[in-house]
Amino acid sequence: MLNEDRVILMTRMAAYEAGEGKKHMNVVRFFKGDYVAVGILKAMVCATVSYALIIGLYIYYNFDVFLSNMYDMDILEFVRGILIKYAWFLGIYVLITYIVCTIRYNYSRRKLKRYYKNLWVLKKMYDKQ
Amino acid sequence: MTQLLELRDNIKSLFAKYDVFIFPVLKFLMAMVTLLMINSKLGYMSRLNNFGIVLIIALACSFLPNGAILFFAALVSMAHVFALSPEVAIIIAVIYMLIYLLYLRFTPSESLCIVATPIMFVMHIPYVVPVVMGLIGGPASALSVVCGVIVYFALHTVTVNAANVSGNISDLMSEIRLIIDSLLGNKQMIVLVVAFAVVTITVYVIRRLPIEHAWTLAEASGAFFCMLIVLIGGLVQNAGFSIIGILFGCILSFAIGKVIEFFRFCVDYTRTERVQFEDDDYYYFVKAVPKMNVAAPEKKVKNINRSHKSYVAKGRKEPSEEIYEDEYAEDFLMTEDDDIKIRN
Repeated sequence: MLNEDRVILMTRMAAYEAGEGKKHMNVVRFFKGDYVAVGILKAMVCATVSYALIIGLYIYYNFDVFLSNMYDMDILEFVRGILIKYAWFLGIYVLITYIVCTIRYNYSRRKLKRYYKNLWVLKKMYDKQ
Repeated sequence: MTQLLELRDNIKSLFAKYDVFIFPVLKFLMAMVTLLMINSKLGYMSRLNNFGIVLIIALACSFLPNGAILFFAALVSMAHVFALSPEVAIIIAVIYMLIYLLYLRFTPSESLCIVATPIMFVMHIPYVVPVVMGLIGGPASALSVVCGVIVYFALHTVTVNAANVSGNISDLMSEIRLIIDSLLGNKQMIVLVVAFAVVTITVYVIRRLPIEHAWTLAEASGAFFCMLIVLIGGLVQNAGFSIIGILFGCILSFAIGKVIEFFRFCVDYTRTERVQFEDDDYYYFVKAVPKMNVAAPEKKVKNINRSHKSYVAKGRKEPSEEIYEDEYAEDFLMTEDDDIKIRN
């Protein structure tokens, strides 16, 4: 005999598994610390590349000014200024990434927990039959 | 209203039934419109202005993920700018890369918003974007809208200054300065970035409030704030916005918001139910607002053919082409409209 409730549950679970569930499983297969750490590492690389692009564009924009003032300017001070701004930029971006990764991990975990609970309910339905 | 609700349910069921075909077609159309607009507005690389190439890319986008539209749009626009001036193309490439590295890699699903925003600008209805994204997106959509605005103005700056950009090595520095100065000093862009970010977040926050008519209120306040910020910002910055354009755009954004509300959040507040109950730990105050639904009219199909079994059981030949020739033909009469009527 076809159990309608079971079919509905299985359909919902299959839809979740094929859609959002895939992403959530990819997230939750790591420990939370590892997931966030990987996210932060990627963020550091991206922030560094982005900052390099911005600085590159800035130098590109002021290229003739740099050329004319090359011997007069304090290069150490200039580099120090760039590094301090880089540290700020990196810090803020890493903080945002930490918050996003944490929220994403907790959300995925919560959703997956519900999925496993539904699996258990499904098993009970089969046992009852 | 009932007819509208029926129409909505029919559209929804149509989408649910044929989503395998409808979504690729929609993606194809979106890619097509995007690429044709890029070609018409930029169009500096003559080889890319070929309709065949646009068709092939759009077809590829129809079965690739949503991000492919943004990827190809970025690629094609960069190629056009590269044909105009490689140095300016570097600036555009840096803008695209910054958007991807700092934002889009977190939420690839928002890529369509970044594509849609410049399209809406070209269609002269940009004020629709923040209201719609506030209704269907999350708070992060504000960033997508802002990125879309920046992308549009970056490309717009290139087209406006195309005559001054020659790609000549001797003018290299002045060209780069011209483009960057025009972009960063664009007052319209600054006003719209602020307005769209504020409106998207405002619409999102009001939509989520547990109050009656939250969606309508969100749309109205979104349109109002958009108008207010753009008008005041435009006056203060002397940005040169068209007042009629702003008014028309904000009214249109409200109207489109209502259409989205009709499809996504159509509830009947007059039938709101409030219940109160308790368990060991809590008191519950529940407010239930019923959705507006109409029962789909059931189609009763009356089977006027005798079943296959009955013919077999009676030892008769199954009626097929000879149906109008043999004894069963008397049961049927074909009308001019090919309707089958039972002859009494």
